[in-house]
Amino acid sequence: MLALKLAFKNLLGAGLRTWLNVSILSFAFVLIIFYNGLLDGWNRQGIKDTKEWEIGEGQFWHPEYDELDPFTIQDAHAPLSEKIQKLVNENKLTPILISEATAYPQGRMRSVVLKGIDPKQTISKIPSAGLETTEKGTFAIIGKRMAEATKLKEGDNMLVRWRDKNGTYDAREIQIAAIFKCNVPPVDNGQIYVSLDVLQEMTNMPNEATLLVTSKDFEGGELENWAFKDLDFLLKDFHALISAKKGGASIMQIVLLVLALLAIFDTQVLSIFRRQKEIGTYIAMGMTRFQVVGIFTVEGGAHSILAAIVGAAYGIPLFIYLDKVGITFGTPDMGITISETIYPYYSVQLIIMSLLLVVISATIVSYLPARKISKMKPTDALKGKLQ
Amino acid sequence: MKKNISILISILFFTTIGFAQTADEILDKVDKNMSAENRIIESSMIIHGKRNSRTMTSISYSVGDKQSFTEYLSPAREAGTKMLKLENQLWIYSPSTDRTIQISGHMLRQSVMGSDLSYEDMMDDRKLKDVYSSTVIGAEEIEGRKTHVLELTAKVENVSYHSRKLWVDADYFVPMKEELFAKSGQLLKQTTLSNIKKIEGRWFPTKMVYKDMLKQGDGTEFIINDIKFNQKIPEYIFTKAALKQ
Amino acid sequence: MIKFLFKGILRDRSRSLLPVIIVSIGVLLTVFLSGYFTGVFGDIIDINAKFTSGHVKIMTRVYAENKDQVPNDLALMEVGELKTKLNLEYSEMEWVSRTHFGGLIDVPDENGETRAQGPAAGRAVDLFSPESQEIERMNIGNSVVKGVIPTKSGEAIISDDFAERFSVNIGDEVTLFGSTMNGSMMFHNFIVSGTIRFGPAMLDRGAIIIDITDAQMILDMEDAASEVLGYFKDGLYDTEKAGLISASFNEKYSNVNDEFSPQMFKLEEDAGLDEYLMLADSMSGVMITFFIIAMSIVLWNTGLLGGLRRYSEYGIRLALGEEKKHIFKTIIYEAILIGLLGSVIGTILGISLSYYVQETGIDFSNIMENTTMMFPQVFRTLVKPAHFFIGFIPGLFAVVLGNALAGFAIYKRKTAQLFKELEV
Repeated sequence: MLALKLAFKNLLGAGLRTWLNVSILSFAFVLIIFYNGLLDGWNRQGIKDTKEWEIGEGQFWHPEYDELDPFTIQDAHAPLSEKIQKLVNENKLTPILISEATAYPQGRMRSVVLKGIDPKQTISKIPSAGLETTEKGTFAIIGKRMAEATKLKEGDNMLVRWRDKNGTYDAREIQIAAIFKCNVPPVDNGQIYVSLDVLQEMTNMPNEATLLVTSKDFEGGELENWAFKDLDFLLKDFHALISAKKGGASIMQIVLLVLALLAIFDTQVLSIFRRQKEIGTYIAMGMTRFQVVGIFTVEGGAHSILAAIVGAAYGIPLFIYLDKVGITFGTPDMGITISETIYPYYSVQLIIMSLLLVVISATIVSYLPARKISKMKPTDALKGKLQ
Repeated sequence: MKKNISILISILFFTTIGFAQTADEILDKVDKNMSAENRIIESSMIIHGKRNSRTMTSISYSVGDKQSFTEYLSPAREAGTKMLKLENQLWIYSPSTDRTIQISGHMLRQSVMGSDLSYEDMMDDRKLKDVYSSTVIGAEEIEGRKTHVLELTAKVENVSYHSRKLWVDADYFVPMKEELFAKSGQLLKQTTLSNIKKIEGRWFPTKMVYKDMLKQGDGTEFIINDIKFNQKIPEYIFTKAALKQ
Repeated sequence: MIKFLFKGILRDRSRSLLPVIIVSIGVLLTVFLSGYFTGVFGDIIDINAKFTSGHVKIMTRVYAENKDQVPNDLALMEVGELKTKLNLEYSEMEWVSRTHFGGLIDVPDENGETRAQGPAAGRAVDLFSPESQEIERMNIGNSVVKGVIPTKSGEAIISDDFAERFSVNIGDEVTLFGSTMNGSMMFHNFIVSGTIRFGPAMLDRGAIIIDITDAQMILDMEDAASEVLGYFKDGLYDTEKAGLISASFNEKYSNVNDEFSPQMFKLEEDAGLDEYLMLADSMSGVMITFFIIAMSIVLWNTGLLGGLRRYSEYGIRLALGEEKKHIFKTIIYEAILIGLLGSVIGTILGISLSYYVQETGIDFSNIMENTTMMFPQVFRTLVKPAHFFIGFIPGLFAVVLGNALAGFAIYKRKTAQLFKELEV
């Protein structure tokens, strides 16, 4: 306790230099938390968005269906059983029917995926309600990226050709009812959404679906003839990206810490050099060398505590601010889910871990030069003769 | 491939039982011209690409509707490439790789060498009368010749084209034009047939132009240079082993 | 005097060693971290550039409009002549041709008939030219799972998933079936020299990579290519320069009325990365600035420390009659020497380290759960010309500033007090 009190007194007494060190350390501290918070925020939001837009709490796939192999779509559809229908009515599942098609926007040709979605569903954020209309014609909604790629605007028509269940060609003009903005690229790129019953009628697959998206209310359990794909499976690439990013962040943290610790080390070396007489006096007064080493170690380590306080002083308002406004990334089309604006997420665990990391490493670094004290001759130290 | 196309054509017009009296009569007469026990065709296919056009020549042998064998003669790149169709299976052999590749499933829906035809278009060997019910819906003149206009509507489910419209020359009973439609009535493909010649006592169109109406471009031309009916075609030619010879 | 001071620094290790080491480490960290930030923030852009967009990309106008269909019949022609012009007029970039192709990969049984087949998503890049950097650029070397990268015509490297699924082994022959640029049927047998896994399933599905010369031959694309990509020779994307180059190129060679005329797109136009690019730039800029400030504080501290340590020396020197001004001057000169020495050493070490990491990367794949991600599993720095002098800011200026601050104390000291420092 004495050591701690002394440490803070000494530290505060040292003035400018202490505050310089503290500011560097606090900066490292804040930056580490910020960057990890940013990644965590991205992660949470990415998962949240992907769940809300695309995968729900997991999906049931028709056994033939493979997301990455468009050739499987042709055979991947099955009627909804009564049990499933009941779950759909209870808003626990929403069926999606998928069909491959060729679109001819403005005379060009483009492979697209037609997706039938229930206009009344609320499980996905896809604004399917926009498909509900009493007007005549076939209406579709598309994402912003798709709209840009096909140069289509709201109200535009586009010829779409597809094949029904039996392979019979069909084609009709589809009118774009609305364009939505979505930061989950697979929901947008190359996708055209029409009302589920419309697509079922178009493909001659009444009451059929390719996959079922679960909602939070879905209690789990198996569905006969449907393969459940859990979140881990559906988010695999995303998880990998985030863990990769974290790996990248760790180097930055190490370098930042090394920098801050270099400053503390430096200061420790200096203060031990300058305060030889003080050290000599402590020993002369009967303190063991070990105790003196302790005082200096604690003093060095106490930088980190001050740094935490200073860091909190400007970090907390900064974090709160960033949490309010977020950090805008734009809408990059990278095939990965990234929100236009990321709101960093700071977990208690993150803050405690970072705090521990900084305090422990600062203490170790303070101890290293302080060891020199134990080798000092008290007499020389008292005279301040050590170099 | 030539052969497959000819098969396709023969199939299109080969009918057995009549539904609508006059339409069936017309189709029967067409059939007399177009179909045969077997035949050997030498043909050229001209594919008009966006940048250039290519001509391929081939010789094909067919027996009935189910078996056909085609060998490409030119250009050099294609020469020696062979195609065998048995029932609903298709194999392609390439001499350069000495490989026999089966074309199945989704590949059948792809366009054949950038033409306006898909493998599937070439493969469908069902008789029109089995698949469509037909009615005469009028008479029109095409290039100064009188034609019967027939409308064919699918009566079975698994067809690529839900309906067709056929213009048949009123004197020769040879099709002059055909249009293929989607369920919605959207025109998808168009075939025009011309250069009708009398061969071995029957009238036969020797030039056909296929056009995918949704695709830009000038379509694919198919020209029959030589056609022989009722020849002796050895049975072994329709085996996979023959591909490698 | 400089010579004298220099000798002093060299001979008096307490004066030189610690400060030089600290300055060196500081500069090293600054240089390395600057390179690292540039690398890490740019990684998504970088991967995009390397795999698909180039720093700039040239396609025919009509190919660009239909690029999702890989329409090789609309590919660029007279690529040789085009590249000659490009190399002449835009020599700051390296120009490479790449070709994409589709089709089927067909695996034969013992009779040469189809045993298994799957759709191909092919890429043809320059694997064989000794000067080609494509293997490195696309990280093909590190993505090889089994076997090796093709070294001669007729070899291909295919998706590891595909090979696993259909039990294709290294040395097996597979047939690529597709169509040539003219639409003719294309068959070609390739020996599987190796298998590859980039990570994202989208890139791996049906992947087959062959040399561009093989592609030219089998696809009838002599002197043609799907696209010509330009990469800045220093490896770094400069959006302004890319904009100027593409504007000037399009002005000269692109013709709205000729759909087969070439059109150049810069990275963000092709990949839709505009905003991310700006953000990454400012983000790494902010980080580096912060870092330099922090480093400056540390080194200033070092300088201060160096000065303080020697108060007694200054006391004696003052006592001996040396002018304060002169002492101050020597302090500054010494600081400059130490700062320079440290900065040079630190910069050399930092740049070497950065280059090393740029070339080999820091491999995190072992500690990461999912080793299949092509994304920054291996972290790389990027060495920019700026990194050659960036370390001098903290290394030289901060040290000198620190020493100067310590030196000012000399003016404040009274001679009597200085003698007190001399207490023996």
